[in-house]
Amino acid sequence: MNPMQRKKDRIDKLAEQAAGASADVPDAGKVADTGGVSLIASAWRRLRRNPVFLVGLAVTVLFVLIAIFAPLLAPHNGQTGYLLNQVTPNDPVPGGQDGFPLGADGQTGRDLLSRLILGSRQTLIVGVCATLAGLAGGVVLGTLAGAFGGWVDTVVMRLVDVMLSLPSLLLAISVATLFGRPSQWTLIVAISVVQVPIFARLLRGSMLAQRASDHVLAARALGVKRGPITFRHMLPNSLGPVLVQATLVLATSIIDAAALSFLGLGNPDDSSPEWGQMLGKAQDYFDVAPRLAFWPAACIVVVAFGFTLMGESLREALDPKTRR
Amino acid sequence: MSAAAYEPEVRAGDSLLSVRDLVVEFGGKGRPTFRAVDGVSFDVGPGQTIGLVGESGCGKSVTSLAIMGLLPARGNKVAGSATFDGTDLLTLDQREMSDRRGRDIAMIFQDPLSSLNPVVPIGVQVAEVMQRHQGLKKAQAMQESRLLLDRVGIPDPARRLKEYPHQLSGGMRQRALIAMALACKPRLLIADEPTTALDVTIQAQILEVLRELVVDSGTALIMITHDLGVVAGLCDEVNVMYAGRIVESASRHEIFARPEHPYTHGLLGSIPRLDGTRAGALHAIPGSVADNIPWTGGCAFAPRCTNATAICREQSPALEADPTGIPDHLLRCHHPILPGTDSTHE
Amino acid sequence: MSEQTSILDKKRPDGSADILLDAQDVKVHFPIKRGVIFDRTVGYVYAVDGMTLQINRGETYGLVGESGCGKSTFGRALLRLEEPTAGTVAFDGTDLSSLKGETLRKQRRNMQMVFQDPLSSLDPRQTVEALLLEGMRAHGLTKDKTAAHARLRELLSAVGLPEAALKKYPHEFSGGQRQRIGIARALSVDPQLIVADEPVSALDVSVQAQVINLLEDVQEQFGLTYLVIAHDLAVVRHISDRVGVMYLGALVEEADADDLYAMPLHPYTRALMSAVPIPDPQVEDRRERIILAGDLPSPAAPPNGCRFHTRCPWRQETKCDTERPQLREVRIEGVPATHRVACHFAEEIQSGALQPHSVTPTIVDPDADRPRPDIVEDGAPGADPFPDARPPGV
Repeated sequence: MNPMQRKKDRIDKLAEQAAGASADVPDAGKVADTGGVSLIASAWRRLRRNPVFLVGLAVTVLFVLIAIFAPLLAPHNGQTGYLLNQVTPNDPVPGGQDGFPLGADGQTGRDLLSRLILGSRQTLIVGVCATLAGLAGGVVLGTLAGAFGGWVDTVVMRLVDVMLSLPSLLLAISVATLFGRPSQWTLIVAISVVQVPIFARLLRGSMLAQRASDHVLAARALGVKRGPITFRHMLPNSLGPVLVQATLVLATSIIDAAALSFLGLGNPDDSSPEWGQMLGKAQDYFDVAPRLAFWPAACIVVVAFGFTLMGESLREALDPKTRR
Repeated sequence: MSAAAYEPEVRAGDSLLSVRDLVVEFGGKGRPTFRAVDGVSFDVGPGQTIGLVGESGCGKSVTSLAIMGLLPARGNKVAGSATFDGTDLLTLDQREMSDRRGRDIAMIFQDPLSSLNPVVPIGVQVAEVMQRHQGLKKAQAMQESRLLLDRVGIPDPARRLKEYPHQLSGGMRQRALIAMALACKPRLLIADEPTTALDVTIQAQILEVLRELVVDSGTALIMITHDLGVVAGLCDEVNVMYAGRIVESASRHEIFARPEHPYTHGLLGSIPRLDGTRAGALHAIPGSVADNIPWTGGCAFAPRCTNATAICREQSPALEADPTGIPDHLLRCHHPILPGTDSTHE
Repeated sequence: MSEQTSILDKKRPDGSADILLDAQDVKVHFPIKRGVIFDRTVGYVYAVDGMTLQINRGETYGLVGESGCGKSTFGRALLRLEEPTAGTVAFDGTDLSSLKGETLRKQRRNMQMVFQDPLSSLDPRQTVEALLLEGMRAHGLTKDKTAAHARLRELLSAVGLPEAALKKYPHEFSGGQRQRIGIARALSVDPQLIVADEPVSALDVSVQAQVINLLEDVQEQFGLTYLVIAHDLAVVRHISDRVGVMYLGALVEEADADDLYAMPLHPYTRALMSAVPIPDPQVEDRRERIILAGDLPSPAAPPNGCRFHTRCPWRQETKCDTERPQLREVRIEGVPATHRVACHFAEEIQSGALQPHSVTPTIVDPDADRPRPDIVEDGAPGADPFPDARPPGV
């Protein structure tokens, strides 16, 4: 029988099988007719039922919503010293009262609650920008090292090692002081520089694992070019742990931002409040009004906790070992 | 060197372990329960080897883990009985069971590396078992473990005693694991795919060790494997499992000469034989276990079975005596392939 | 279809065999590196150490050997997925070892690979359609959309999968179905040679037969040449026209499949064949087993002389441990010239003039051949990076 005839017969047979599919199992076994479910989609299905993720998500969404609508939500203007008249040398921080449930933010007499709400926006910007910048830098370096290997890998990784060997806060302080005049942006740069080596290392590790994997070997054997292999196979399969890390890093950048602001390296201009900066300022009043430190600290902790919960459950969902 | 010498006499009622209607269900809140083992019964006597054969997911390993009390503490339900020497193992608590394990019953696994403690020399690991269950002094136990390693065919045992698992090859590790299992002269040994990770020449060595063990010490052996070749050379009685149930059970000569269940028949037809002819294609079983239907109200194998008719999808077959009246040949099938009526394969 | 005619078909009009792939003295040595800051090479793993073989167009060549013998590394070296340390590989007259960059990439279209683990060899984030189209796109075969789609349908039907499979992801298939996808992917660029590295050993027994049959079907349908690498002698025997037995990086015996199984001449082949369990108690009870003592020596420190002499029951003091035997034709009646053995004493062993003796196993340190983890990480696999034969347990 000639090959064309064979081929035709085979297709006919297959069509027949497809028609009577309910009764007979074809040689290869059944394949459901429904559309495919990608790994991301099946991870999402699992995530949707995970209470830990849902709590994390709720906290995060709440935080983001507050940050976006801060000017509408804040009961007062963050700049005006409403309670200035109540500031006395004996009691420099007016307490909670009608219309100002958390009282003033210090001798300036501004509304603490409003400043907290408005501060969420700056905090979000600093956290997200710092993480994105760190992620971008890390992905570039990690991809370079992982995709090329050899001396590129060695050079990049030694650089990363040097960055990792410096204490992260010290590195951030150096970067921040380098800029001379601290601002919100020095804060972002300082924090992201610290994150870069972490992302780079993580990505490079999983890129190398991917490079040695069978499916990359298969793509090489097919004659696929290096670019598509890197960006279609290696990078997407390596990004999972990096994205999980990014969620976790969001939490730490907010905390780092607070630490740097506390040390006076943040934005000195307190007209646009930020939680870390508020925490830093609170040290002046710590003996008379510890609540000034408590509220921003509590906000930072809750938000960081939300991101961490989300990151951890994301890690669990993306881990192929836990998939069924 | 041939296995011909080995033909133990096993009388009825001589059973050491008697498993009845073993059911293992997995599942927890929010997840559908899954019956991994569904009413499995078998007996094994001293000096006897029985085989549990099947493919991945057929429940053969879960059966052994349930008997050994090694299933995870949560998320599963075990029913039925496994009577060992008059005691139902399934009713024992964790402590009693762990005392039994090692003393009366031992188990070896597919992956010897993960079953050995990586930071303790193998000699000490073997000796520890003896110290614990036989109350030997340390020096005495080390002496004994040297003898044991020698017995399972580890060369230069005095030196090997002091080595760590990672320093041994796969075959040597499996021997060390067998030595550990034998340390307390167990009356029952369960071997779960003991040679699957090994090369054939090493597999031959390990099977030889197991064979000697059964003949010389009268140990009862439950051999769990997917390899029908291994079963043919080793087991007295073969139980073929499919989707959690035994579908065919007979002596090894009987089952290989007259495989009557379409699954057993299909399995034997689908493996190329080293000594067979090369003509033609293999008789593959269509589909995969993913195509099964549940046993409730039907035969799980029906969708892949060439003999299946309407009744196979409506009525669950029972494990019954072979219709041609051959003793001790049990079958779970509405349409068995009987000798002389072999019309399934064109 | 008889074996005789099919072999004749493969001959050229002048009677010479039509050689598609010619590997001459291929060596792959992996450096073993030690050192904290500067990596020093302290030795080599001789994974493949002098492999010479020819594969004729249209035939199936089976390469058998146990884990660590270097068979997988050799298969990859043939496809230039692993850089050979020495030797030449000629494919259809072109010397592959001299090719570089774009020429090599274009050449890859002619030689494809089927992997052992069908799940890990398929990118989990790509649909079947994307997986199949990728190779075609890399070689400019997708310019015509309708033709490309027709090609996809043809590929799927060739491997027995329905069209619904295109939109699905690898994790949604059973093991056998995934291996079918792997085969379809190899076929997508219309290759001439397929290297199948343990194509069925990760599959369930009942599914193995389907995949073996499928490999044979597509070979006929697309006129393929196969190199099947496997540890399972029964599978190799079933599928192969010619079989080579590998031990520690080199061939010890090569013959037509039926000749080899009818009369194995090398002591290692004999031991290997006697160790394969046969699903027939009658045969099992009567068989003579040659149980080899000890383990495979480390490929980082292969024995001098005949590589097998440390485990050989027929070893002779005269030259086995000093002189390395080469593949040669033997002077035994009924053994054709195509049946070649690397053993000094093949004739004497066959005639019974030499009798087996007992062997004291030598101790093998399995660590010697294990490259440091960072070497593996860098993409250079060890001696045989894929552990053989691990059908999944329950």
